[in-house]
Amino acid sequence: METPLREPTFLILAALAAEPLHGYGLITEVTRLSDGRVSLRPGTLYGALDRLLDAGLVAVEREEVVDSRLRRYYRLTNHGGDLLADETERMRRNVEAATARLTARTRRGTPRLSGGIA
Amino acid sequence: MSDLERRYLRLVRICYPAGYRDARGTEIAGTYLALSSPDRRWPSVADVTDVAVGGLRQRLRAVGATGVGPGLRLAATLALVTATALAGCWATLELSPWTTAWFGVAQHGTSVTLGLGVWVTWLLAAAAHVAAPGRWTRAAIGLALVLTVAVVPLAAVVDRSRPPLFVLLPQVCLGFVALGVPSRSPGWLRLLPVAGVAAALPVGAAFAGNGGDVFLGYYGWPARQILPAAGTALLLVAVLVGVVLAARGDRRGGWALLVLLGPIGMLSVHPLAGELAARFYGGGPNADWTTLATAATIAAVASATAMWAALIVQRRVAGAARRSVPGGPRSHEASG
Repeated sequence: METPLREPTFLILAALAAEPLHGYGLITEVTRLSDGRVSLRPGTLYGALDRLLDAGLVAVEREEVVDSRLRRYYRLTNHGGDLLADETERMRRNVEAATARLTARTRRGTPRLSGGIA
Repeated sequence: MSDLERRYLRLVRICYPAGYRDARGTEIAGTYLALSSPDRRWPSVADVTDVAVGGLRQRLRAVGATGVGPGLRLAATLALVTATALAGCWATLELSPWTTAWFGVAQHGTSVTLGLGVWVTWLLAAAAHVAAPGRWTRAAIGLALVLTVAVVPLAAVVDRSRPPLFVLLPQVCLGFVALGVPSRSPGWLRLLPVAGVAAALPVGAAFAGNGGDVFLGYYGWPARQILPAAGTALLLVAVLVGVVLAARGDRRGGWALLVLLGPIGMLSVHPLAGELAARFYGGGPNADWTTLATAATIAAVASATAMWAALIVQRRVAGAARRSVPGGPRSHEASG
């Protein structure tokens, strides 16, 4: 799996980090994690899950039949957990670096245009 | 089983490949059902589109052509730029008074044919791509596509002139490809269709500005010059982008070029029809309806064959790669 991960992929892995989830649960959890910004549709979700299964980042945990409908629960594998941790660390370092720069900028004040405004 | 569940299962059965829907069909349909409101009886348009796109993606994945999706998104951006640039050019010519002389028909309002309304919707699609990429842009492209097709029966009903089919057909092909335009792209990429329109306006004005020559009509010489030129430019840009990406080990450009072969072929229909006419009838390259239809069929079959051949090659390469790697990527059945 190529890194950096795309946002939906990252959010799917993050959603599965807490507990195994089925398709509908994953979609609602990704929406919640992203404050409603990322809204996966089933076609996109299962396409992403296929890639993650192929890459060994998630695995099928168990299957249930609820109201005569199949529910398949997915879990994060150890490999998936390691990748998620690496990505989170990379993003955390980026956030820290950007925060430090922004803080320094705020302390300096907004830079004036060269030569001022005539 | 409810009617809605039966309809979702039927949709999945139609769109997804057999092996995959056996393993995942009920699970996917169940997820759509869980997301739908209790009073819904039919799948929404968005769900139908999602199932169709998901099924197509899975079919491509089954033949190892996972690069087609990214390639289609790249092709869609290039197609949208070309379609909106052409629309800018045609809109300028529609407003030209010299086109009236060529048609020999009375001008109604500001434009010669009903085409102006069609081209304006394409320009709106370019604006939507800047302001609201993604869903709104696709909706604007969809509207432009509907109008591009609907202008043919509409012109017949109201007895008004319309752009010729050899102008409308490539626009429709470009529009279908442009529907795959990515939802998120950098600002400069979002500006490209508007830049294409801005670049096309002086071209249209240059053709329209040479007034007095009856051959400078909207249906005539400019269309036969502009369409193949646009096709050649699109081909060159696609090849150039493909080469640059290939140098980085990115094969998107190859798939984008294959996707664009159809629209490029349709842009070249008129000169091809002229060649056919000269060969079949003798004399000059005077294309008629028969040669134009034949040329369009040749272009469609050739581009579909090229894509089909590429998918077969890709499938064999992917199969050989899987066989050479013990314990390689698992199949989707294994996931179920």
